[in-house]
Amino acid sequence: MDYRIHLANRMLANKKGSLLGAIMAVSIGILVIHVNFVIFQGLYDAIIRDLSGYRFGDVLVTNREDVITEKSDVFLVNWLERIPYVEAAAPRLSSSASINVTKSGKTIQDFGVPIVGIDPFHDIRVSTVHETVKDGQYVFSRNSIVVGSTIARDLGGVNVGDNLKVKIVNRHGEDAIKRFIVTGIASSPGGQGFDNSVVIHIDTLRDMLDRQKETGQILVKLNDPTKANEVKDLFLRSFPNDDFKVETIEESAEQTLSGFRSGIAMINMIGYFGMMSSAFAVVTIQMMLVSSKTREIGIMRAIGAKRKDILVIFLFQGMIIGVIGAGVGTGFGLSYTFYAKETKMSFQGSLPLQVSYDWSKIIQTAIMAFGLAVIASIYPAIKATKLQPVEAMRSV
Amino acid sequence: MNKIYGEGDTKVHALVDVSFSVKKGEFVLVVGSSGSGKSTLLNMIGLLDRPTNGQVSIDGTNTTTLSDDQISSFRNSKLGFIFQSSNLLTDLTVLENTLLPRNIQHTDQNAMNEAINLLKAVGLGDQMNKRANKISGGQAQRAAIARGLVNKPSIVLADEPTGNLDSVTAETIIQLMKSMAEKLGQTFIVVTHDRHQFGEVDRIITIRDGRAFEGEDPPRKMEIKV
Repeated sequence: MDYRIHLANRMLANKKGSLLGAIMAVSIGILVIHVNFVIFQGLYDAIIRDLSGYRFGDVLVTNREDVITEKSDVFLVNWLERIPYVEAAAPRLSSSASINVTKSGKTIQDFGVPIVGIDPFHDIRVSTVHETVKDGQYVFSRNSIVVGSTIARDLGGVNVGDNLKVKIVNRHGEDAIKRFIVTGIASSPGGQGFDNSVVIHIDTLRDMLDRQKETGQILVKLNDPTKANEVKDLFLRSFPNDDFKVETIEESAEQTLSGFRSGIAMINMIGYFGMMSSAFAVVTIQMMLVSSKTREIGIMRAIGAKRKDILVIFLFQGMIIGVIGAGVGTGFGLSYTFYAKETKMSFQGSLPLQVSYDWSKIIQTAIMAFGLAVIASIYPAIKATKLQPVEAMRSV
Repeated sequence: MNKIYGEGDTKVHALVDVSFSVKKGEFVLVVGSSGSGKSTLLNMIGLLDRPTNGQVSIDGTNTTTLSDDQISSFRNSKLGFIFQSSNLLTDLTVLENTLLPRNIQHTDQNAMNEAINLLKAVGLGDQMNKRANKISGGQAQRAAIARGLVNKPSIVLADEPTGNLDSVTAETIIQLMKSMAEKLGQTFIVVTHDRHQFGEVDRIITIRDGRAFEGEDPPRKMEIKV
């Protein structure tokens, strides 16, 4: 082993406090970035996950103007499900309704409630809304209704088995009224689900609206979400003359996520500033190390070490600090990520974070921390080379 | 050569027209009272500092024209140092300290064996793997002698090598330096304020008020010998 590496190692090993301090500084810088990533990227991905799972699928097919009338939902679903990347597709239709319930002789009414018509057979293959039904079960028949938890509360505490009267204004402007039996109450963490809506069978909604064969949207779930753009392009190429609008989840969720994305960028920047602070801590600690080794530097220079040898010794120290700090920091960060992922971390009952291991970012952060530790060592190392042997040896 | 520190009112003429030469294999004692300029002279000869004017030539090389890196290499290959306090690196073992000049030189061939032999010769055969701060002052100074010799330098420069030692240990170290000088035919220039500790030596140079005189008799200004 080169004597300079050996000496750098020994000098650091004999200054355990400084070494520990420098390693902690680098590690904490990395940990902050990991924690930021887990929380904010996790939140971002969780919102995408829930928007995709509840409302948009991986790809959403709609009509540019109104509802889909050009092709039947059965045709479109079958066509889409023939694409190898597509796992399932399901139609939905939306409107709004007035709902009233009579409880203990008292009628409670709620107006302008979003109502979603779903195909129970297809929807559970595409969407995860059915998993948010905490009480009872998902829509399974033409007269069953799932009520969002917020609506259930607004209606005075609707329970499974209660009867609801739903009034919708149909396409002719006439009231369509129908009674439903509550089969489930939907409640999603974070409220991205149908907590503020009610869900019924799509054919029932079509009947009430007098919009047979019409579909509001087709949700498409992919077995490989990275192929969303390919599916989108294929669909649009296959139906060039129809007025379809196809969006990937990123496009569908753009409005919700655009502000959030700049927030994440800001938080990431704060994380990187934190790492810069760590670099300043390394500079300070390395300066202390140089100062405490002034006499040794003088001795080495006296017995023939060149300025570059001294430079190399302290740069090696920076590398050692960088390697150990990056290793320990990445270890801490991965432990936190693992914990957050395994415990499905959430804050105060909000939506559970969608935690993932972004290896390129993890490696990039570790390399950046290592680089900063080395860069932070340059100035102290140069200072060390400037010491004159005679003056340095006078230091005690 | 001359060496002047400071400027204006604070100007100190540390060395005044000092000029002498040393033959290969000589054991030279540089004596003088405290503050006379002995250590300054040694720093000039050891290329640890540059004279204000004049030159230091070693083995026919005028060192004043050398760059910083060349001076470092020159120090490493031509000069051995023994300091007042042993100045071993406390992070390394005795053996590693002894090997350090060779490591700096990147001439590792036989270095280990030579260093071990030197340590045995100075009586540290059983201490070589101890950390430098775990041995006594006398042992550290022996290790410093071994380190000063490991590169087979043209000159070994010793600055008050017994200054921090008790009289018994000091006597041992002096005898060790003398015997090594004799055994290896090694040139020694030793700075001391206690001439009597050293007994018989080849030559004595006295420094008084920055001026160098041959022998122990200060009034006679030294003649230049080339």
